[in-house]
Amino acid sequence: MRMSVSQDFAAGLLLLAFGVAGLWIGADYPMGTAQRPGTGVLPMILSWCLVGTGVLLWIKTAIAGSARLTPWAWRPAILITLATVAFALLVDRLGLLVAMLVSMTFAALGTPETRWREYIPFALLMLALGVGLFIYALGMPITALPAGYPWK
Amino acid sequence: MEIAGLLANLGLGFSVAVSLQNLLWCLAGAVIGTAIGVLPGVGPVATMALLLPVTYVLPAEGALIMLAGIYYGAQYGGSTTAILVNLPGESSSVVTTLDGYQMARQGRAGPALAIAALGSFFAGCVATVAIALAAPPLTRLAQQFTPPDYFSLMTLGLVFAIVLARGSVLKAFGMVFLGMLLGLIGTDVNTGNLRYTFGISDLFDGIGFVPLAMGVFGIAEIIANLTNPERADLVSSKVSGLLPTREDMQRSIAPILRGTVLGGLLGILPGGGAILASFSAYTLEKKFSRTPEKFGTGMIEGVAAPESANNAAAQTSFIPMLTLGIPSNAVMAMMIGGMMIHGIVPGPQVMEQRPGLFWGMIVSMWFGNLMLIVLNLPLIGIWVRLLLVPYRLLAIAILFFCCIGVYSLNNSANEVLMIAVFGLFGYLLMKLDFEPAPLLLGFLLGPMMEVYMRRTMLLSRGDPWVFIQRPLSLCFLVLAALLLAFIVLPNVRKAREAAFQE
Repeated sequence: MRMSVSQDFAAGLLLLAFGVAGLWIGADYPMGTAQRPGTGVLPMILSWCLVGTGVLLWIKTAIAGSARLTPWAWRPAILITLATVAFALLVDRLGLLVAMLVSMTFAALGTPETRWREYIPFALLMLALGVGLFIYALGMPITALPAGYPWK
Repeated sequence: MEIAGLLANLGLGFSVAVSLQNLLWCLAGAVIGTAIGVLPGVGPVATMALLLPVTYVLPAEGALIMLAGIYYGAQYGGSTTAILVNLPGESSSVVTTLDGYQMARQGRAGPALAIAALGSFFAGCVATVAIALAAPPLTRLAQQFTPPDYFSLMTLGLVFAIVLARGSVLKAFGMVFLGMLLGLIGTDVNTGNLRYTFGISDLFDGIGFVPLAMGVFGIAEIIANLTNPERADLVSSKVSGLLPTREDMQRSIAPILRGTVLGGLLGILPGGGAILASFSAYTLEKKFSRTPEKFGTGMIEGVAAPESANNAAAQTSFIPMLTLGIPSNAVMAMMIGGMMIHGIVPGPQVMEQRPGLFWGMIVSMWFGNLMLIVLNLPLIGIWVRLLLVPYRLLAIAILFFCCIGVYSLNNSANEVLMIAVFGLFGYLLMKLDFEPAPLLLGFLLGPMMEVYMRRTMLLSRGDPWVFIQRPLSLCFLVLAALLLAFIVLPNVRKAREAAFQE
């Protein structure tokens, strides 16, 4: 079975979801007075605006129709996200070299076009650039190699 | 009197801009700008975000001169790729591909590149003078602004951003509202209450502009570009015969002039900037032409006008940022970020408190344009070689620079996690055909508007009518309402859709 969702229906859903969540979470923010508007005033106005825009988008889609959603690019989306997350989790614990290597390899896996013979020298060049530029030249307070123990 | 004052100001700016250090930063900005302009998939917003942490160690003048150079430098570089490879190096050179690439296929890449660079140079010089002329009176006007005026001006700015965004108006509305809501995340500065933080301490100070921009523009673009890798096929890596013929020059003069004026005007509008300017200039040129059907087959007018317009707009979009402290597009938001890093609060007071910085930056734009024409014409061969780097490698490098750039802002790995989240979010927005630029503007202006709204209500003792009682504020609101009413008119909407279709 092929699932095909209308693009604008999904877009409306996204806006509605943010609007409803904004109202829900912001329900108990104090509203203050007219002279001193409180924390909750603008969030409430904006959340209602989001709900309204989402509904209008739905109505428009119902009347005029919309394009179908194009297929998702799972591979780059997942691997580029993994690459970013890996860098974030590893840089403090295992140092720049490991973080870069893992992160860049995830990114390289993100496209079927990667040629490993080309990637390996490129990765070495990037590692040298990363350490040379950011640790030696700019003096960022991170280490190149794992320092101490990761669980400390 | 006015002229003498202007000359004195420009003289002061000249003395700042001409110092060896600042010339070097200007050159650095121009070189980086050209490089990222040439490379498809790397834009000025992400690059400036990457370099913001680096500018921390520079003096304020050098930092802003360099950041500015990146933006207008990218307009020069973008045309090179558009003409030689039929890919827009920058989104503002999309229309240049139409006629520029055709010229290149007919063996006239040289004249196309030369006209693009000369047109940009001319536009850059005019825009520099325009900024110098427009800034003082606008600043004086801005100093009389009261809180309701600011609030209404920002409303107008957001309405412009909606009207000028590509695609559906409703979706642009949604993006502005969502951006404003995201901007409110964190501690409410007025009351100290937390909003939408989910108990995550990294959100107490709110979402950082740089992680948001870098995720939505940087990471999301990588994902999208890796999905459909565009094949770069160079017409030829050798460009010979740069000089345009006499006929080329004669045909280009009027389009360059028109492009400069139109681009300069559109650049000032909030939400405008280089992209809109180049599209409009191309459409305008078609209207003026006696042979509109020939556009798309290698008409030099179709290169001259949009390339002049995008450079003019890139520069005049500094005007609202410098005089009012209001960013008109994402790049200007980065400039504001750069100022804040150096403890400068953007707004009308900058011109008085830091005249050296203010005028130095303006004059540096002229130097920057001069450097760019040298960088782009004789050295074109070097830039073309950049295009031989395949995107699969470029993507890895960009991703690394995004990660390390965000990390270095606060030495915080959690902010790197944020760009991963915003990257996916940005990709989702792209798939749903949302424009991210209005989101970013809403994100920036939302919290500012809240501050001005509260000040207004406090001063007026809770009377909201004050927004339409102040003449200036009323003007802005009426203008905003007219714009909105205008866009709903059916034939205007059709024209707008047609203009963005080109």
